[in-house]
Amino acid sequence: MADEASKIDHKKHLLLDQPLLRLPYELLRKNFRSAHFTTEWDAAFVKNLLKETATGSLNAKTAPEDVVKNLDVMLARMRGLKRKLTTNAEEEARLYRQLGARVAHLRELSTMHTVEDVHYESWSRQRLDRLMVDYLLRHGYNASATALANERQMQDLVDIDTFISMSRIRTALEGGSVQEALAWCADNKKELRKLKSNLEFMLRCQQYIELLRAEQPSKTIEAIAHAKKSIVPFNETYPAEVSHIIGLLAFGPDTPLPAYARYYSPSRWSQLASIFVDAHNKLLGLPSFPLLHIALSSGLSALKTPACHGAEATASSTPGHATSLTASVCPICSTELNELARNVPYAHHDKSHVANDLLVLPNNRVYGQARIHEYAAKAGLGPNHVKDLVTGQVFPVDKLKKVFIT
Amino acid sequence: MDDNRTTGMDSLQHALAEVNKMRRLSTAVDHVDKIIEMLSAAREQVAATLDPHTTSLTMTKLQNPTKVAFDRVNDDLKEVSGAHKKLGRALDKHFPLKPLPSDHDAMAEYPDLINRAIAMHLLREGQFSVASTFIDEAQDASAHHAPYQRLDAEGTPDDDLDELMDEDYPDVNASPFTTASTNEHQDLSSLQSQELQTKFAEMYSILQELKARNLGPAIEWARSNSVELEARGSNLEFELIKLQFVWLFKGPLVNGLPDNERNGRSGALDYARHNFGRFQGRHLAEIDRLAGAMAFASNIPDSPYRQDFAIDGAFMDVASSFTREFCSLLGLSAESPLYIAATAGALALPYQMKFVEMSKAKGTEWTTANELAFETPLPERMLYHSIFVCPVAKEQTTEANPPMMIPCGHVLAKETLQRLCKGSRLKCPYCPSEGQIKDARQIIL
Repeated sequence: MADEASKIDHKKHLLLDQPLLRLPYELLRKNFRSAHFTTEWDAAFVKNLLKETATGSLNAKTAPEDVVKNLDVMLARMRGLKRKLTTNAEEEARLYRQLGARVAHLRELSTMHTVEDVHYESWSRQRLDRLMVDYLLRHGYNASATALANERQMQDLVDIDTFISMSRIRTALEGGSVQEALAWCADNKKELRKLKSNLEFMLRCQQYIELLRAEQPSKTIEAIAHAKKSIVPFNETYPAEVSHIIGLLAFGPDTPLPAYARYYSPSRWSQLASIFVDAHNKLLGLPSFPLLHIALSSGLSALKTPACHGAEATASSTPGHATSLTASVCPICSTELNELARNVPYAHHDKSHVANDLLVLPNNRVYGQARIHEYAAKAGLGPNHVKDLVTGQVFPVDKLKKVFIT
Repeated sequence: MDDNRTTGMDSLQHALAEVNKMRRLSTAVDHVDKIIEMLSAAREQVAATLDPHTTSLTMTKLQNPTKVAFDRVNDDLKEVSGAHKKLGRALDKHFPLKPLPSDHDAMAEYPDLINRAIAMHLLREGQFSVASTFIDEAQDASAHHAPYQRLDAEGTPDDDLDELMDEDYPDVNASPFTTASTNEHQDLSSLQSQELQTKFAEMYSILQELKARNLGPAIEWARSNSVELEARGSNLEFELIKLQFVWLFKGPLVNGLPDNERNGRSGALDYARHNFGRFQGRHLAEIDRLAGAMAFASNIPDSPYRQDFAIDGAFMDVASSFTREFCSLLGLSAESPLYIAATAGALALPYQMKFVEMSKAKGTEWTTANELAFETPLPERMLYHSIFVCPVAKEQTTEANPPMMIPCGHVLAKETLQRLCKGSRLKCPYCPSEGQIKDARQIIL
C-alpha cells in the first residue's frame, strides 16, 4: 500500500503547477490585445490622414508645405507605433522563453516514477521555492521574492513583474490613491466586464466620497459633476448602490447615521485593495489564495495524526530523545509547524501502520523489537535489557510482552 | 501521439516548439518599419521641391503601397493571434485546467506562523541573506500595513478574520510537547536576533569544512557536545575520529595534506593513540579492527579491511549524520518540515479535489471536521507516527478513545472494548482467549 503511494501519478501531480503555464499564456494574450489595439488605432489615424492629404493635394486644397507637415505627423505616429510594438514584441519573446523553461521544468517530472527517485527531491525542492516566491509576492514582500528567485536562479519560473505591478497598485490603494487602479481598469476594460467585476464602480464611488469628505463647496460641486459622469452610468448594473451613495451628498463625515458614516470609513481603502487583488487574480487565472496555502492545508492534514497535539510524547515527536538512527521527527510535531497544524483535520486511515514485532514495556509504551534492541545496543546495555526511547527507563527483557496488531 | 509513453508534457513541448516557429510580433515591427520608410521617402521627395504637381504625384503613388503594407501588418497580427490560439488549444488538450480549492483558505488566518516557518526553512537551507531580507520585510509590513482583509461572498470584508495579530506561539527552544503550557508571544524579531541564526551559520561553516575534507571543526563540535550526543545514542564523534584516522592513513598523495609526521601511516597511528583511547569502552571491536589493518598497510585494497578504507561516500554520510545530530540538539528535525509538508500536500491534493468534486456532484457539503473525510495515501517514509485503526470499529484511536491491549496481546479501541464486554468479562474477537476487562491496559504506540 505504501509502495503504491510512492508512485508518481503524472496526470495528477501537477495540480499546483497549473498557474505556472497559464499565466504566461494569459500575459501573451494580454500583450497581443494591447499590440492589436494600438495598431488599429494608429493605423486608422494614419490611413485617414494619408487619404485626406492625398486628396487635398490632388485638388490643390492642400499646399505642399502642409503635405509635408501632415507627413511628419504620420511619421511621428508610426514611429510611436513602432516603439510600442517593439516593446510588445520583446515582451512576447520573453514570455515564449519563459514558457519554454517552464514546460521543460514540468517535463522533468515525467522522467521520475516514484518519490524515492533521487531527482524527485531536487524537483520538489524547486517546487517549494516556487511556492514560496508566489507567497512572498502575493504578500508584497518583493525584495525577499526577488532575492530568493535570484539565489535559486529560477527567474524564468516565477512571475515577479506581474506581482510587483499588482503590489504597486495595491499599495497605492491602501495609501488612498485610486489613479493607478483606474488606469489598470482602463487597460483591462473588456475583461473586467466579462468578469462582471464591481472594481471600477467602487473606485468611482471612492473618488466621490473623497470629494465630499473635504466638505468644501467647490469640492461638493465637483463631486456632483463626477457622480453625473462616472457613477450614474452604473445605474443599470447597481441601481440600489447608486441611489444610496448619491444620497451621501446630504451627510458629512461626522454623520451619526451608520448607514452613511460607513462610506467615510478608512477601512474602505483596504476593501478596495482586496477587490482589486481579487479581480487581478481572476483575470489572470490565478488561484484566489497563495499556492503555498493550498499545499500546506493539504499536506498538514495528510501528515497529521491525533498524536501530534496530544499530551503524551512519542518517539516521533521528541527529537531530543529519539534515537539518532531512525526516522526524523514528524513535521507536524516540529516547532515550525505544530501551531499551524493545530486546527486542521487529521488524516484519515483505513489500515493500521505499525512496526513489526511489537513489544510493550512495563510502562505501557510500545516499540518495534528491532528498534528497541538497536537502541539498547547503542546504549551499551547487554542483550538482557532494553531502554525506553522516550523516557530512558531501563527494563529487563523478560518484562516485555508481545503485542499483536493486524 | 497515441504512444502511452508520451506524456502530456512531451506533447505540450512539441506543440510549443511548433508555435515557436510561427510568426511573431517582431515581424509586424519590421513591416511597420517599411511603412515608415515609405512615408519618409515621400516626405523627402515632397520637401525637396515643394511643387504641387510632384507632390500630388508622390502622394498618389504612396496610397497603394502603404495600403498593402498596412494589410501586411494586419496579416502579421492575425498570424500571431493564430499562433497563440494554437498554443491555447495545446494547453487545453495536454494540460487541461483542473479546479483548485477556492472557498475555504484554512491558512489565511496564520500569516505570522507561516512567515516564521518560511524564515526557519530559509535558515536551514543556508539561505542566510534571503532569510535576513525576508525577516526585515515581514517586520516592516506588520508595522505599517493593516491586515489584508478577506472578502466574503458579497465582497464585503470578513470581520471574523480580524484577529490576525497577537497569536500565541510556543517558545522555539522548548520541546514541542510543553507548548500547551508555555504560551509565549513569539515573533519574527526573535528569529533575527536569536541564536538560531548564529547556530545555523555555525552548522553551515562546519559543513563547508567537511565538504573540503577538513574534519577538525566537526570533531571539535562533537567533542564539546559529547554528553548530549551520547544521551541520544549517537556515535558521531567516534565516526568522525575513525574517518580522520583513515583519511590520514591514506597519506599526502590522497588527502593533500602536508607530508609530515602528522600525516601518512605514522601520523595516523599517532592520531589513533591520542584519540581512540576513550572510545575503547564502546567501540573496542572496531578499534581492534583498524589496528589490525595496519598490518596490511601496504595492500589494503586486497585485504579483508578494504571496506573500512573505502571512504568515498563516507564524507557525505558523516556530513548528513552531523546535520541530523546538530538539528536534533537544537530541538529541530533534520529534514525541513516545510519541505515535507509541501511535498505531502502535492501528493494529497488530488485526493482532496476528487472528493470535493464527488461531493459537489452528490450535492453533499464538504464541511471541515476533526478528521479528513477521504484517504490521502503517503509514501512509507512520510508516515512518522504509528497508526492504529481499530479492526472492529474501523476508526483511528485518539486521546479520548485510546488503544487498549487485552491480556492475549491483541489491541482494540477503548470504546470498542467497552461495547464488547459482557459485565466484567471480555472475549477477544481475534482469538479464543477470554479475560477480565480490568486486565486491559492502555498502551502508547
